[in-house]
Amino acid sequence: MTAPALASASRIKLPRSLGRGAILALFSALLVLYVAGPVGWLVSSSLQAESEITAVPPNWVPPHPTLGNFEAIFGAGKRTVTYENRWRGDAATSRFLPSGAENLLPSLWNSFTVGVWVALLNLIVSITAAYAIAVIHFRGRQTALYAILVTRVIPDIALIVPLFLLVRNLDLINTRLSLVITYLAVTIPFTIFILISYFEQIPRDLYRAARADGCSHVQALAHVYLPLSLPALVASLMFAFLTSWNEFIFALILTQNIASQTLPIVISGFVMDFTTSFSFVNAAGVIAIVPPVVLAIVFERYIVSGLTAGAVKG
Amino acid sequence: MARIRCEGVTKNYGAVTAVSHLTLDIADREFMVFLGPSGCGKTTTLNIIAGLEQISEGDIWFDDTRVTLVPPHRREIAMVFQSYALYPQKTVFENIAFGLRLRGAGKAEISAKVTAAAEELEIAHLLTRRPHQLSGGQRQRVALGRALVRHPTVFLMDEPLSNLDAALRVSMRMLIKKLHRSMGTTFIYVTHDQAEAMTLADRITVMHNGVVQQVDTPDGIYNRPVNRFVAAFLGSPQMNFIDGEIADDGATFVHGALRVKLDAARTDGQGGRKVVLGVRPEDVEVGSGGPADLAGQVALVSPLGSEQHVNVQVGDVELIVRAPKEARFAIGDQLGLSIDPRRLHVFDAASDQALAASP
Repeated sequence: MTAPALASASRIKLPRSLGRGAILALFSALLVLYVAGPVGWLVSSSLQAESEITAVPPNWVPPHPTLGNFEAIFGAGKRTVTYENRWRGDAATSRFLPSGAENLLPSLWNSFTVGVWVALLNLIVSITAAYAIAVIHFRGRQTALYAILVTRVIPDIALIVPLFLLVRNLDLINTRLSLVITYLAVTIPFTIFILISYFEQIPRDLYRAARADGCSHVQALAHVYLPLSLPALVASLMFAFLTSWNEFIFALILTQNIASQTLPIVISGFVMDFTTSFSFVNAAGVIAIVPPVVLAIVFERYIVSGLTAGAVKG
Repeated sequence: MARIRCEGVTKNYGAVTAVSHLTLDIADREFMVFLGPSGCGKTTTLNIIAGLEQISEGDIWFDDTRVTLVPPHRREIAMVFQSYALYPQKTVFENIAFGLRLRGAGKAEISAKVTAAAEELEIAHLLTRRPHQLSGGQRQRVALGRALVRHPTVFLMDEPLSNLDAALRVSMRMLIKKLHRSMGTTFIYVTHDQAEAMTLADRITVMHNGVVQQVDTPDGIYNRPVNRFVAAFLGSPQMNFIDGEIADDGATFVHGALRVKLDAARTDGQGGRKVVLGVRPEDVEVGSGGPADLAGQVALVSPLGSEQHVNVQVGDVELIVRAPKEARFAIGDQLGLSIDPRRLHVFDAASDQALAASP
């Protein structure tokens, strides 16, 4: 191509790439609005009084920002809400307390402990299983992999009755342990699958080098596979914690008292037959999304690829 | 230091046989090279010796210890790979020290050994870097350091120089040869590069389709190939092959009008047998002035600087011959070729086996 031809080509290209950028920006903005919009409304409304939330047109920005809803949540445990005093709070203000409000903080703790146990146990079981399937070429390896995956083909709803009977026969109804066990059955197959594909990407020569250097399988896992799989491990931790944190249907069936109920169950209980305090429910919702958001921020820097750069000739 | 023995080793992957009935005796401190094309089973054999692959049949011995079922981390082996296989999250120092740490060596011992190895390999200034900050040659030196710091029983290398450029490959080859001498350890080296095999090996094992073809010194492999595969695999340009048969006199090879004198001592009494004649390009003398055995016409000239390769059309056969760089050829020139019958290779046409040992 001659020099003038090159110059004219780049002149034509410039507006084209600008247009492309504008379209990309527009769709990105739409996507962000779609994903973040409801969260924004949740946060905004949690800072408003009930009357402001239900106003038409709605107040996208709180006209009189208040932490009253949060004060009500954290102060709920100190008041006993009875049939006689339950109307003490004015439903139109930000301090209205639905019955069962005092259960919110204990359920937050339940959600947290169940989530942490699920995340940790899920990782311990999945790491060893995934290493065995991805790295050790044992007989029946494919069958084991398919068997694990097949467990996830069955819809959860179909398992509810058998699970309930099983948990009841084990005398574990109304325990957090029942939730931990149930959630592990959901998360482990997925996590094994994620980790297998990650482990298989780690160059086989690193495994051979580690074994030749004197590593047993456990040492090869600890010194080579785990340090190189941090992004996958963090993703697995988050996946398991969030699955447990958000889960509703199993928790609804398996737990019926506040010693074991998790946040989604308690929050859903605030939507009552006659009154629903949107301000209270939304403030509870904000509290419910804080731990996952904190987790994502803390672990964000680990979720980077390219850790294997320089291991082998690329 | 160890003598390594493989006895009837077979490795099957389902219906595929990667290594078949391999029996091999590698002497203590020997430099053994496994040579063969891709997929010939040489790396599988190396993995079997390392313990990284379970074998389907047979036994492996290190000296007088049967190690067939001993896992790799208990075999005291060291390995170097084509891909270097350095731990990306560790520094050069930690990469080299890793094997020592696993064995519970003390801090002072580790530091002393790593520093000594790094100095020997001229990478002492790189100890704090990570693998991705190194060049290919430096990475391979680190990989060598990782292996030699431990004084292993056997040093296994899987095409360690294949990813390096030509100049670096030659200098690393020298380094490996020196290491072998200074360490006094058994070396097993896998390659598909005949130049590496010829320059490094005490003995070469040529493999094809999972079967050992020949185990011999570089000289023996090159000059006395036992079959057509070995003859064709070594040598560049490749050996010329001509189909034909032995004349009734037992001392002449016949292909149409083309007749070549054979070493009667090897082919006597074999008159009428279908054979393949093998002629190395350097064994053909071009236009020596004396009486020529064959006459041909220059079809192509490939100058290489140090020498020339000339394609000569002899009847319906095209022979590649090696000629000195000073000689001048033009396409179409008539040439006389003379061949020493003792330098010829004769293979049975049906079995591809050499008829008798060439000189």
